[in-house]
Amino acid sequence: MGNGNEDDYNFVFKVVLIGESGVGKTNLLSRFTRNEFSHDSRTTIGVEFSTRTVMLGTAAVKAQIWDTAGLERYRAITSAYYRGAVGALLVFDLTKHQTYAVVERWLKELYDHAEATIVVMLVGNKSDLSQAREVPTEEARMFAENNGLLFLETSALDSTNVELAFETILKEIFAKVSKQRQNSTRTNAIALGSAQSGQEPVSGEKRACCISL
Amino acid sequence: MARALGEDLAQDDSSSLGSDSELNGPSPYRQADRYGFIGGSSAEPGPDRPPADLIRQREMKWVDMTSHWEKTMSRRYKKVKIQCRKGIPSALRARCWPLLCGARVCQKNSPGTYQELADARGDPQWMEAISRDLHRQFPLHEMFVSPQGHGQQGLLQVLKAYTLYRPEQGYCQAQGPVAAVLLMHLPPEEAFWCLVQICELYLPGYYGPHMEAVRLDADVFMALLRRLLPRVHQHLQRAGVGPLLYLPEWFLCLFTRSLPFPTVLRVWDAFLSEGAKVLFRVGLTLMRLALGTAEQRRACPGLLETLGALRAIAPSQLQEEIFMSQVHSVALSERDLQREIRVQLAQLAESSPGPHPQLQARLPGAQAIFEAQQLAGTRGSPKPELPQIVVQPPEESRPPRRKPQTRGKTFHGLLPRARGASLEGAPRAHRSSVSFLDTRF
Repeated sequence: MGNGNEDDYNFVFKVVLIGESGVGKTNLLSRFTRNEFSHDSRTTIGVEFSTRTVMLGTAAVKAQIWDTAGLERYRAITSAYYRGAVGALLVFDLTKHQTYAVVERWLKELYDHAEATIVVMLVGNKSDLSQAREVPTEEARMFAENNGLLFLETSALDSTNVELAFETILKEIFAKVSKQRQNSTRTNAIALGSAQSGQEPVSGEKRACCISL
Repeated sequence: MARALGEDLAQDDSSSLGSDSELNGPSPYRQADRYGFIGGSSAEPGPDRPPADLIRQREMKWVDMTSHWEKTMSRRYKKVKIQCRKGIPSALRARCWPLLCGARVCQKNSPGTYQELADARGDPQWMEAISRDLHRQFPLHEMFVSPQGHGQQGLLQVLKAYTLYRPEQGYCQAQGPVAAVLLMHLPPEEAFWCLVQICELYLPGYYGPHMEAVRLDADVFMALLRRLLPRVHQHLQRAGVGPLLYLPEWFLCLFTRSLPFPTVLRVWDAFLSEGAKVLFRVGLTLMRLALGTAEQRRACPGLLETLGALRAIAPSQLQEEIFMSQVHSVALSERDLQREIRVQLAQLAESSPGPHPQLQARLPGAQAIFEAQQLAGTRGSPKPELPQIVVQPPEESRPPRRKPQTRGKTFHGLLPRARGASLEGAPRAHRSSVSFLDTRF
């Protein structure tokens, strides 16, 4: 694991996958970072992560994608998961309306724990199961627009739009970072998306799960 | 596949995804290893396994101990503990595990319960969640490959039964791998009662809606790290690696996802015998193996590398004999653990005042469970005494069954468990009896 030399990359962007259990977060992760899909990937119980380095223009960006359990009760222990995240993919299963109906709750969860500037994309996964669709594209797209979210429908199974989804969110994050850089007087430290972003101390109350540096 | 993002600099290796992502579903032509894992690497017994006659000796010991279980537990628990540390012979786990965790007694006390639960209709909300996960628990194990097979069906029945037995607890995904390992050894009814014991006595507060005990244990683990492996602790702090990033999967799944399978079984032998303390010892050992040297720490400058190191310990270091001998020599006693739990509880109360979900007392292993069950028996709730026909050569006349050893111990906190009643202990009262725990470990 020692080859993650931060000097090789200009940026490290932490992106978290959130959404109900079973919507396909783990397979989106494996499809994007390892071009793999498995019908029988295990239930995610702890925290999983994977990385992939991509070029955005001339900048080398290391995407650090995090994945965790979607089941309700795990929220008690996953607040540490959001720390330092600059992007989030809020995933629902477009063949199960129930997983879309709770999107607002997930958004709230996200904003409760992550920075307000986080870039969010709503992802309707399992587009390959077109016959079983329960969430109309337009409905989800309107919701995303009304809430300032990006939106795409993907299929981790047949790869549709997976690259595009990650590319889009990373570009959006990058644009934000670049703008901040221009606005900021500091030369290297960037509040959003720097290599140190994952390690900034958490200000405010001590929470049992967080480390205060 | 067109790379819309242009050329990648490098395809990183750092990933925590397990090996099942390398397989596209099970192939009928791949051989299962001796534990049933398709394509698994636990082939024939390796060089570090004990010789056959030693295994035979241990089997005989266990047969003897389990034939007179009450006598054994009353008078010779130390022997049980030692044998569990050495590892229960695989042929006898099915016999020993339900005895160790007290599931056998639960089943005897409530003979019709499981069948009722199995026959009843499950809560649709839980049934949906459970069913969705059935093929995702041990996808590479031959027993759990087929949806109609007795593996997945057994899982469904056992997990459903639990949600009916404890509706306020419901279903926790981590119960899946735990139930699965139990089902690999036991029929569903026994597996169910073992699961009950684990969820209620060994690790209360782990699998419920708030998982409050997991959060507490994460703090306890960090505190133990600070005391026993201070440099590792410092490194974790600097890298921003909080315990909730790795500990839940370890502890909730009882290491089924984190260790080679033969080692998992050894951990379970010790855990069912000695309780949660074993989980902490295993965690500390893993920490030391992954980050114990300065060189290892230097190789992990950041958070991701550090987490990666925890998952990349060389399999040779995790071989059951080598690994377990290190686990058993970790300088952490039950008393140390209890003390640290008290400290963390106090800090928790200070830092976030207000109501907390009540933390229940744990029973630290087989002996505590045995004594609690004995107490329940002597307090008047009749324990069905099934006459046993034992054919054995005449030996020295057996003394009358002795009462559990109560010299110098207090039992204020140990509430009786009669007929599956849930244990709602006052943690404080339990801790006042910590002295009797000390004498044992």
